[in-house]
Amino acid sequence: MKLFKTALKSLLGNGLKTWLTVFVLSVSFVLIIFMQGLLEGWSRQAVIDAVAWEIAGGQYWSEAYDPYDPFSLDSCARDIPDQLMPAAESGLLEAVLISQGTIYPQGRMQGVILKGIDPEQQIVKLPTRLLAGEGPEIPVIIGAHMAKQAHLKENDLVTLRWRDANGTFEAADLRIAGIFVTTVPTIDNGQIWLALDKLQSMMLRENQASILIASPDYEAQQLEGWLFKDVEELSSNTIAMVKAKSMGMAIFYLIFLLLALLAIFDTQTLAIFRRQREIGTLVALGMTRKQVQWLFTLEGSLNALLAIALGCLYGIPLFIYLSTNGLSFPIDVSEFGLPVSDVMYPYYSLKLIVGTIVFILLSTALVSYLPARQIARMNPTEAIRGKMH
Amino acid sequence: MKQYITSLFILPLSLSILAEDYPPGKTILDRVDQNMNARTRIVQSTMEIQGNRGSRTLEVKTWSEGDNKAFSEYLAPAREKGSKMLKLDNQLWIYSPSTDRIIQISGHMLRQSVMGSDLSYEDMMDDAALLERYQAEVTGEEEIRGRPCWILELTAIVPEVNYYKQVLSIDRERYVPLKADYYSKSGKLLKRISFDKVEQIQGRWYPKTMLYKDMLKEGNGTLMNIVSLELDVNIPATVFNKASLK
Amino acid sequence: MIRFLLKGILRDRSRSLLPIIVVSLGVMITVFLQAYMDGVLGDSIEWTAQFTTGHVKVMTRAYQENMSQTPNDYALTDVDILQPQLEKDYPGLSWAPRIQFGGLLDVPDENGLTRAQGNVKGMGLELLNSSEEIERMHLNDYLSSGDFPKQAGEVLLSRELFNQMGLTLGDEVTLISSGMWGDMAMYNFKVCGTLQFGINSLDRGFMIADIEDLRLALNMENSASEILGFLKEGYYINKEAQNLSGSFNQKQTKTQDKFSLLMLPLSDMNGMQFFVAYAQQMQYLIVLVFVMAMSLVLWNAGLLGGLRRYGEFGLRLAIGENKHELYRSLMGEAVMIGLLGSIIGVAFGLLFSWLMQKYGLDIGDMLKDSTIMMPTVMRARITSTTYYIGFLPGILSTLIGAMLSGIGIYKRQTASLFKELEN
Repeated sequence: MKLFKTALKSLLGNGLKTWLTVFVLSVSFVLIIFMQGLLEGWSRQAVIDAVAWEIAGGQYWSEAYDPYDPFSLDSCARDIPDQLMPAAESGLLEAVLISQGTIYPQGRMQGVILKGIDPEQQIVKLPTRLLAGEGPEIPVIIGAHMAKQAHLKENDLVTLRWRDANGTFEAADLRIAGIFVTTVPTIDNGQIWLALDKLQSMMLRENQASILIASPDYEAQQLEGWLFKDVEELSSNTIAMVKAKSMGMAIFYLIFLLLALLAIFDTQTLAIFRRQREIGTLVALGMTRKQVQWLFTLEGSLNALLAIALGCLYGIPLFIYLSTNGLSFPIDVSEFGLPVSDVMYPYYSLKLIVGTIVFILLSTALVSYLPARQIARMNPTEAIRGKMH
Repeated sequence: MKQYITSLFILPLSLSILAEDYPPGKTILDRVDQNMNARTRIVQSTMEIQGNRGSRTLEVKTWSEGDNKAFSEYLAPAREKGSKMLKLDNQLWIYSPSTDRIIQISGHMLRQSVMGSDLSYEDMMDDAALLERYQAEVTGEEEIRGRPCWILELTAIVPEVNYYKQVLSIDRERYVPLKADYYSKSGKLLKRISFDKVEQIQGRWYPKTMLYKDMLKEGNGTLMNIVSLELDVNIPATVFNKASLK
Repeated sequence: MIRFLLKGILRDRSRSLLPIIVVSLGVMITVFLQAYMDGVLGDSIEWTAQFTTGHVKVMTRAYQENMSQTPNDYALTDVDILQPQLEKDYPGLSWAPRIQFGGLLDVPDENGLTRAQGNVKGMGLELLNSSEEIERMHLNDYLSSGDFPKQAGEVLLSRELFNQMGLTLGDEVTLISSGMWGDMAMYNFKVCGTLQFGINSLDRGFMIADIEDLRLALNMENSASEILGFLKEGYYINKEAQNLSGSFNQKQTKTQDKFSLLMLPLSDMNGMQFFVAYAQQMQYLIVLVFVMAMSLVLWNAGLLGGLRRYGEFGLRLAIGENKHELYRSLMGEAVMIGLLGSIIGVAFGLLFSWLMQKYGLDIGDMLKDSTIMMPTVMRARITSTTYYIGFLPGILSTLIGAMLSGIGIYKRQTASLFKELEN
């Protein structure tokens, strides 16, 4: 404890110099947490968005359903199994029927994927209420990206042609009842959402579904012909994408940390050089060289403690501000293939903060110790006279 | 490639139910049948396709027997020459000489346009047998290019049809269709065929041109022009065989 | 004066060595970081450019409007005139015609009848006559078996499609698609290799073949879906691409015609606008933060260097130098140290950046399980900025450090400074 006090006193005695080092170190400390928090926040948000918009508590897929195979879309719909009916009726499961059609925006042909979902559903964030209502045209909602692709605006009418389960051609006018902005490309690109019962009757597939979206409260069960995919499985792609993006960032703040450590190393080296007389005196007063070594290492490491304290001082308000208000990007990102939202909310986990603290403490201790090793080789009498080898 | 012509010709031949002021639909259809139906046909025709890059003309010869068997061979242009198609019931095969492959067109592919025309392969699969699934009724009269016509409305009575409703304009004297409109159940006009240049061939009245138009799509449609037509000729059974594709 | 100071710096190692090392290290890190950031962010952009957008892309207006559907009926024609014209008008770019298409791939059994079918998307590019496109797209990195097409009629398939269809190398497959004129297109290919991209939608059904094969297959003689332009600098320069496109589009007269030509810069396609802006701003921001931090470290170093020499200052004052002069000489020294350190730092920084640019850091292993398509080799990129970015913090920070530490000269009495000589 005494050693600690002495070290702290001598460190603070250095005044401005110490505070500068501490400041740089604290910046790198804050920055690591900030960047990691941002990426973590992004990753979480991408997953949260995917969960909110698409995955919910997991999904049952009809065995024949394969989102990458348009062949499968027309034939993958199955009767909703009886075992699932109670859950479907109570809103724990939402059936989605997936089919194909052709739209004719401005007389051009464009293939689309049709997805039917209950307008009353509460499980995903899609503004499905807009799908309710009767009228000469079928109300549909599309994503912003799809709207751009097909040159469609809200309240535009567009003709849809499809074939029902019997192969009969059908056509109807769709009214774009709403355009939703989402960061989840898989519910946007090339897709049109409409009311489930409408699509079922259009396709002559009453009571059929291609997938069932489960509410988080739903307990999945094994079923013949239906595969349950949990959140983890469905969001693994998104997570991997963000993970890869964060890889490039790591180098950046590691270099930054290196810089801070360089400052400490530099300070330590000079301090030991300048304070030989002090070292000599300490040894003369009865401290072993090892103890002095520790004293200096401790003094250097205290930089980290101070930096963490300082970092907390301005970092905590900053982090709190950012995680409540988010970090906004002024540019439209709807077309970008990544699940990026226009406002990113960093997320700071305890693991991240504690991990960063430990990491910084250890690395600071190391760079403080390295120059201090020199002390062991000092001759106290010469040191007292300020002469070094 | 031309069996759809067959189908289209045969489309109007089916049963019907009495209407009030007009002759019964079935009667009209029977008369059309008498006029146009033949055991076999050999048709040589051209098809003018309006694409985004201007028009192209294909030349095709088609052998057909009854409603379910058709075999066609492309004669021009050079790139399509030698391509063959065989339709047996509801199956469709294509042979292309450049690849020397016989490929069955199914599923997704059926939706594609045939050679860039306003017809899809699905349209070609439109089987005459389906006509037994319509109820026919004369609903009015009209004049097309100076010819008085019956307006004949066909409504599907079974679910497995390509089009829920068809409206045909039948020449009252010659019992030949001059116009055919295809509607969805919701009443939307999907396709229209306009028939023209009606001439007598082997004692029967036949339209020698047909303009096929996808009404949802922009453009001028696809024009078919019959160059020669032979009816009730004997066609060897081997023609309607996959072996003849190669 | 300068010579005197320089001598002092060079001879008194304790005065110069450590500060110079610190400055060099700091500058080196700054330089390297700038090049690295530029490289990594730039690579993501380049990747998109190589695969889909080019730095600029020439296509018809109608094609652009329906780009998401790769409408080859609006393809470019007379490529043999158009491409040389582009090469002549824009010598600063290399031009690559490509065909994008979709269709059905059919695998025959021993009787030539369909055994398996699958959807494909694909690309036709110049593979046979030059390896330029292969290098440009780093296709070598994605080749998982076999080899690139060596003769006409050979095709590369994505690995998963290849496996799913139960193919072996050398098998024949038939592409069924629609040609530029809307005609039905059938064409036989021999599978010569497989590709693995790591992105689901591509791995499920993608093919790459020589553009001439696709011209034959899709009846697109002398045509191309699009012609991509790549700046000879090797990386995307937004301003240049914007200017090029602007001037090209101005020259097009019949802009109402749907077949009139249009050139778009990368930033106007595929939502890349966001990324380009992001990359630019992020880079400046990061470098700025870094330069600030670096200045602090060097300031710290300068401070230490100055403090150590109070004794010397005392002596110099005692022998008659005045305080201002002393301060000025101290500043001069700092500038020199900063300059020297910066030169060394920039040199090393460039060296490391160059190594990183040439060899890169392969994070492919770390991303083994991921399914994303992105560059797996992180590379730095040396630009003009790389050469001067380090000097700013290098010189400025030493100077500020020395200025701050030098203030002590004014604060203290000559006598007490002199006393520190005893140290």
